[in-house]
Amino acid sequence: MADLAQQVGIPRQILLIAGLRWRMLHNYLRRKQNRLDLIGLLIVGLVAGAFVIGVCFALFRGAYDFVSSGKVTWLSLLFWGIFLWWQLLPIMVAGFGASFDFREVRRFPLSFAGFYIIGLAYGLADFTGVAAVCWIIAVAFGVAAASAALLPVLLLMAVLFIAFNVALERLVGSWMERLLAGRRTRELFFAGFILVMVLLQFLGPLLNRYENSAEPWLMRALPYLSYFPASLVGKGIGAVAAGNSSAFAVAAAGIAGYAALFGLLLWMRFAAQYRGEELSETPMPAKIARNAEGAATGVDGLSLLSPRVAAVIRKEARYLLRNGFAAMLLLLPPGLVFTLISQSSLVHFMGTKGISPELFFPGLVAYIVLILMTPAYNSFAYESAGVQTYFTAPLRFRDVFLGKNFVQVCLIAIELALCIAAFCYRVGAPPAPIFLATLAAVVFTVVGQLSIANWSSLSFPRKLEFGKIHGQRQSRMAVLIAFAAQILLFAISSLVLGLGRWTGDRWLPAKAFMLLAAAAMGGYFASLDALTSYAEKKKEKLIEALCR
Amino acid sequence: MTDLAIATEKLTRRFGALTAVDNIDLRVTAGQFFGFLGPNGAGKSTTIKMLTGLLAPSSGRMQLLGLDFSTQSMEVKRQIGVVPEGMGLFERLTGAEYLNFVGRMYGLNHSTTQQRTRELLEFMQLADRPKSMIADYSHGMKKKLALAAAVIHAPRILFLDEPFEGVDALAAGALKALLARMTARGVTIFITSHVLEIVERLCSHVGIIHQGRLVAQGSIEELRAGITGEEGSKTTLEQIFLSIVRHSGAERAQIEELSWLT
Repeated sequence: MADLAQQVGIPRQILLIAGLRWRMLHNYLRRKQNRLDLIGLLIVGLVAGAFVIGVCFALFRGAYDFVSSGKVTWLSLLFWGIFLWWQLLPIMVAGFGASFDFREVRRFPLSFAGFYIIGLAYGLADFTGVAAVCWIIAVAFGVAAASAALLPVLLLMAVLFIAFNVALERLVGSWMERLLAGRRTRELFFAGFILVMVLLQFLGPLLNRYENSAEPWLMRALPYLSYFPASLVGKGIGAVAAGNSSAFAVAAAGIAGYAALFGLLLWMRFAAQYRGEELSETPMPAKIARNAEGAATGVDGLSLLSPRVAAVIRKEARYLLRNGFAAMLLLLPPGLVFTLISQSSLVHFMGTKGISPELFFPGLVAYIVLILMTPAYNSFAYESAGVQTYFTAPLRFRDVFLGKNFVQVCLIAIELALCIAAFCYRVGAPPAPIFLATLAAVVFTVVGQLSIANWSSLSFPRKLEFGKIHGQRQSRMAVLIAFAAQILLFAISSLVLGLGRWTGDRWLPAKAFMLLAAAAMGGYFASLDALTSYAEKKKEKLIEALCR
Repeated sequence: MTDLAIATEKLTRRFGALTAVDNIDLRVTAGQFFGFLGPNGAGKSTTIKMLTGLLAPSSGRMQLLGLDFSTQSMEVKRQIGVVPEGMGLFERLTGAEYLNFVGRMYGLNHSTTQQRTRELLEFMQLADRPKSMIADYSHGMKKKLALAAAVIHAPRILFLDEPFEGVDALAAGALKALLARMTARGVTIFITSHVLEIVERLCSHVGIIHQGRLVAQGSIEELRAGITGEEGSKTTLEQIFLSIVRHSGAERAQIEELSWLT
């Protein structure tokens, strides 16, 4: 050998990976078919940027007001907001995660310390992290504008707070990914999630019953929040403002302790990854095994459908049950609806504000449809290389869409039925004209969207990985198309509802929506053949995007 | 062209300025075990993708079993089986679920699909892990499952892209025996492989593609005679392949390269 590879420093490695990520994005956007995604990227970037800047101004003003009015410890409220954003959003909106799996760098001669620091650095480079740091800077400016003397203290606390948040966010993300990679733990996790959602239904009645005894208990619990990092930041700055240096030292040490603790836990987690942790599925649970045995007896529960549509439906159902994150997103809307309508204050609120079920019921149903329809706009996301089967098998693509859309519609129908039943039980049934108009509007908006969503799935496919949270990014164009289609359809629906109110004909919306629903159904079935031809044209793009 | 299982006329595929497959005229007779060879990037997989409907040709015609692919694609697809590049598996299904899915997609009835699924899993030695998802299979197991899925509907032409890559010797032996039995029953098998010994042992005919052009086609004996000028010589397929490909301009100037490695 003439020479040996030189050790590359950590800053250089970070720069190299940044360069790699930039090159990957650049090369991705160079492709003609991906350029439309750039438009989506720019629009999403502008909206997100406007949001971040808007919140920056709000936080600046809030920090300035708190400090100038002497309520320095109230800064904790701002840091609580930032903390919740930083920790919850990556779980709720995985789409903003980094698309580059930094664990790939393990194959290079990289020390564990380097691996750890790079992992932290890229935790900070996520959208949530960048936004949170911008907001902390805005708070710092606000504090400095009100009292420049507090700025050094705030900067110290902010650095510790950032270190704590980055470590915690990376740790939670890493553990979630590990937990959800195993099928059995994934199913246990979602069983637990459903249980919590069900238990939440009892929260309202329990609070009502034990209101008097619960309130003091809650009030006693509230001070304990002051031991959490977000509160410690406010307490520490407040202590300096009050000239209490020992209280400041305790608060700063507290945050540093949190940062060190989670940094250490993250160190252990990353160490497992660095050693070469393999995330894979665990054996199939007994329930699914029994189903497999049942299927072997020769009974076909979907025999009324064409074999191909039935095969797609079965496959979609299995994929849905095995894809924990997608299943969780499906459970969230009814969970939130149940939580909302179980609040005792809701009925009172509706009564005092004059909000009738006539208004509330369509709004609630629209929310469910809005959330549940979004995945349909990239419906091949989890197919991976399997999508080739659809093109090598002797089938028309309409069968694939029929199977996929059938599962989608069934899910929406089940979730809507549950939510409507809960609503009627808790709040009361809306008048028949409203009820029928809403149901017809659901058919119109769902079926109307399906045709657009099918087109979007073929035009802007994006592969997503099972059981992964980080690094999952939807096609921006698909998101924009979903957004535009939903705005359009809900605008039409609002117009029809408004027309009903204006004319005073209570049955007009129901009639109009039934006509629109019939038209949407006709359009949907007419679109299937066109989509079959379109799929043939788009197959190369689809296969390329999903087989990567 | 009706006695031909596969016939192409000036089949071409361009990707922008690059012509990946350039006017190839393939002729594969029914019942042949046909090996399709070529260096990396020669256009093998692109050709298979076109022949199996995964990629549209830029120009030219394809007939499979006498059926024009462009107008009778459904009928063609019913009669062909494919192990595509990347295998095309739905990895979040179990092996049995996947075979059931594919059987139903090819229009087999429920009981036939179940029966064949069991038999294929047994044959491929995949039946002992009924609960495992395909994602947890080894590469070789995935290959065997992809092959099982390709034959579940008893196709008349089988397209296999690198079928033995990653398959253990025991399973490879069983697969070769199965493929030989299939050709004996009149099934046409079209495979690509970089392992020329396997191709030489299995295939009666080969085609060699280089830089998108079909540079040789015929029985191994014919190609051997074309190289040595005499029949019955002991020239191996590897020597034939290298001779044809080098003759077509692939030989690099013998300069001193990568001196820092030695």
